[in-house]
Amino acid sequence: MNVATRKAGSWRRILGSLALAVLLEQLPWAGWALALRPDFVLVGVLFWTLHQPARIGFATAFFLGLLADFQDGAVFGQHAIAYVIGVYLVLFLRLRLLQFDPSRQAAQLFPILLTVQLGVLLVGWLAVNPPTSLAVLLPVMSSTVLWFLVALFVRLWHGKSLLDQA
Amino acid sequence: MATSGQLMFARRLGPPARLLIWFLIGVSCVVVDVRYHALDGLRSGFSMLLQPVREAMRAPSDVAAELGGFFTRHRLLQQERDVLLAERAQLRVSVNAAKELVRENAELRTLLQLQARPGQQAVQAALLYQGHDWFAQRITLDQGGGAGLRSGLPVVDAAGLVGQVSRVYPGSSEVTLVSSPEQLTPVFVERTGQRGLAAGSGHGQLELRYMPAQTDVRPGDRLLTSGIDRVYPAGIPVARVSRVSRSQSSPYLRVECLPLAGLDRSRAVLVLIAEPQVTTR
Repeated sequence: MNVATRKAGSWRRILGSLALAVLLEQLPWAGWALALRPDFVLVGVLFWTLHQPARIGFATAFFLGLLADFQDGAVFGQHAIAYVIGVYLVLFLRLRLLQFDPSRQAAQLFPILLTVQLGVLLVGWLAVNPPTSLAVLLPVMSSTVLWFLVALFVRLWHGKSLLDQA
Repeated sequence: MATSGQLMFARRLGPPARLLIWFLIGVSCVVVDVRYHALDGLRSGFSMLLQPVREAMRAPSDVAAELGGFFTRHRLLQQERDVLLAERAQLRVSVNAAKELVRENAELRTLLQLQARPGQQAVQAALLYQGHDWFAQRITLDQGGGAGLRSGLPVVDAAGLVGQVSRVYPGSSEVTLVSSPEQLTPVFVERTGQRGLAAGSGHGQLELRYMPAQTDVRPGDRLLTSGIDRVYPAGIPVARVSRVSRSQSSPYLRVECLPLAGLDRSRAVLVLIAEPQVTTR
């Protein structure tokens, strides 16, 4: 496989998975499923920031953050700022994160996802209202579990080395 | 030494600098949106982009509901039909009575030279999407500016008031629910006629604010819209009082209410549009 086709395939995979994440968030979630819904887009962005930092980074995270703001009817910038902070943290800890197996990687991602969600909480608090409950922190758990599943799937499917060449 | 094709200095900014730049852009977005409401065009763009996607993603649950309906038992349908027929007969009787009352009311109003009440027109809409915003409770409907919706219109379902249209896009609109924090609804207690303000308290509940401690409010009382704000028509059921308690520190009663409309259940709602000759704010 030459470099060009591998690049094209990789772009296709990145955009495909991010589009799938956006689609999953458009499902009519309601009730408990909504409260526990993992942040698919955030997990997708952070995953590709970890594995393809040259392609997916701050700009993508910011744009998808604006999209998340729209779909939650929140203030523009609320999720965008938080996602950008998440990308920075992943870049900061990148070499460390890449050394771990899926379960430990997910455990290391937990504080990052928590920071992102606290960022959402803080911006919303300053810009709009005090939040009504701490249910805002529930998706952190489910996002961590989602990260574990994704990392496990990728590990089983491709082996360790394929994604980490970038 | 650097050879040709190898840069001596990194051309890209480092992550901290890029974080700072994007952070500043984000903060300016928040300020522009909250202070100047200048990003509504971007919202409309996103809504046009996501509208077909959302309608498509609604299909799986619709198909499941269709399949479930297909296997409903014949006997059950017959029972439901009997109940509905009985209910229709009763409603016919009350409609006749209401018509008579409307005629009489109009006559009395002309006698008293009062302003006529605004007429109502209802637009049917269905739930398109529910996002989780933790700072306000909103749902998205599948009707928008194209169907004549405006910001500020009341939204009801069969049981009561659902909320108020807060943002309108070409093909969809956002509704702020009555239970959303800081959403105020002018109401009166059905039993006594006492007027008050119901405010959302989050958690899917409302509270009746500023009720002096000697007010006659009991659990079980219904709250209806009072109509004095000229936004909601009078007499739409809003909530039922669930608990009344007196606190030592405050001169007011603490009145908790549960909304009557199925805020998180109803999938089909009506948007009430006042006829244009009346100025609504």
